[in-house]
Amino acid sequence: MVSESVISARDVRMSFPDGAGGHVHAVAGVDLEVARGEVLALLGPNGAGKTTLLDILLGLTTPRSGDVSVGGLSPRAAVQSGMLSALLQTGGLLPDLTAAETVRMIATLHADPAGVDEVIDTAGVRPFASRPVGKCSGGQQQRLRFALALLPRPEIVVLDEPTAGMDVAARHEFWGRMRAQADEGVTVVFATHYLEEAEQFARRTVLMDRGRVLADGPTDEVRARAGAAYVTVSWTPTAAELAQVPHVLRADREGARTTFRTEDSDGLARYLLTATGARGLTVRPASLEEAFRLLTEDSPTPGDTEHPVTADSEEVTA
Amino acid sequence: MTTATTPHRHVRGGYSLGRYIAMDFRRNLRNVGNSFFVIVLPTALFLFFGASMDWSGEPVGVGNVSAWTMIAIASYGAAMATTSMAGSAALEIQQGWGRQLALTAMPHGAFIVAKAVVAVAMAALPVLVLNLAGVFTVADMPPGVWLATVALTIGGSLPFAFYGLAIGLSFRSDAAVGAATGLLVILSFLGNAFMPLDGVLLDIGRFTPMYGIVALARYPLTGGDLVAMGGAAGSDPLWMVLANVAAWTVVFAVACLLLQRSRTTRR
Repeated sequence: MVSESVISARDVRMSFPDGAGGHVHAVAGVDLEVARGEVLALLGPNGAGKTTLLDILLGLTTPRSGDVSVGGLSPRAAVQSGMLSALLQTGGLLPDLTAAETVRMIATLHADPAGVDEVIDTAGVRPFASRPVGKCSGGQQQRLRFALALLPRPEIVVLDEPTAGMDVAARHEFWGRMRAQADEGVTVVFATHYLEEAEQFARRTVLMDRGRVLADGPTDEVRARAGAAYVTVSWTPTAAELAQVPHVLRADREGARTTFRTEDSDGLARYLLTATGARGLTVRPASLEEAFRLLTEDSPTPGDTEHPVTADSEEVTA
Repeated sequence: MTTATTPHRHVRGGYSLGRYIAMDFRRNLRNVGNSFFVIVLPTALFLFFGASMDWSGEPVGVGNVSAWTMIAIASYGAAMATTSMAGSAALEIQQGWGRQLALTAMPHGAFIVAKAVVAVAMAALPVLVLNLAGVFTVADMPPGVWLATVALTIGGSLPFAFYGLAIGLSFRSDAAVGAATGLLVILSFLGNAFMPLDGVLLDIGRFTPMYGIVALARYPLTGGDLVAMGGAAGSDPLWMVLANVAAWTVVFAVACLLLQRSRTTRR
């Protein structure tokens, strides 16, 4: 299916002064094309540049260089036309207004808003519509922000860590409502640092770290790369035995225990338990941070010990 | 792919600033603490000290002492209104409301216009209430002078918008804006607003920010003549009054500009 690109970013760069005379490259040359109706997860640890990139896509921040267009318009024009809207991460609400008043007030500032009652119902704001925002829970405030994002009847919605501060039930409910929007053809781009959210909701995932795109593709594939795991067993193999073990990215020995890093923990575990004398097997999924480190490292050499990557000493290779 | 739905009628710039302003005005009016300090307190001050004293009816300039007091207390109320409005606007922007508004059709400039309109409306409220209180009690001025002082009182509160903005930008807390508003009591006292000063206090007061706007608002009534308890009163030339207003406006405005420039963080 060849689809029309609704978001197009080319070689976008943004840096901030770091307070010590230098610059932090929050976004360091990002290319991104998003097709109409696509649901895309922007996955990365804190400080990866997700929020800055989304701010640029929304016209809230002007990039140092690069081109961004949304629906053929500049981001700001796309926002003003109501085509593009967003749910921002924090703040953005006045504590002394009630939830319904907030919706009404923002509705006056859109050219062709959806009905206030309609978005209040769609976003699930109705139960606390007359409560002052300052007395709403974090999850309720997120629902209110969602209602505000729906007001301009957008074709593209950008969400910056929309479920931050929500409990599991609220998170589930939120994604249910979001899925309904996506099913109606709304293009959704959301930032998250939960791999599970990307898996459950996005067909495509863009993996970001330190301002760069590390991987971009179907979520399954990205998940396979980011979903590395550590398998540890009690086993002291010979070099020849070690060389025969499949699915291994790297092996580390520490006394009688050997730890393998792998992209296929099931396959590796099956082999170790059936074809070797390994015992006491444990599997630990790599955290997202570790997964990012794997993706940014040069080709690993067996027997290496883990070195924490420091921010300024390592050249990033995508 | 979506089916061929009718495209949205996306119109650029079609927003209703008037309705936004009305809602923001109502929100600020509903803020009980604010409204009490800005409207009720100055009115009560005037009724106690400006309308019911033995000397309230004594002549001053082309009017009387009650009018002289009313103008100053109205200036105090109006300055409180603009200080707290501008301070809270700075906080709203910093707390992310500005980002929310940046996701609407309203341009940033319109937000400033909206806030300015709401601030002037809030400043006009104590002025109108106090002047009505004056009309129905003993304050007396010729009608033309009366209108001129009302206009100067409201206009004179504008430098304090910069003052509130500067405080909001530098301290980023409601408490700081509240304290800045509270400080206006002292500045008003030094500004010759509540009781006629003389001697050293008057010499110091001439250089404080409320002095200029109070003297300017009273100018149509007094022609610059000072009122003194003891009798020996002097006179402030108009240039001195204007110099005070201009100097403090520049000081507050430059402070805002510097503070704005030093903000490099995202939020």
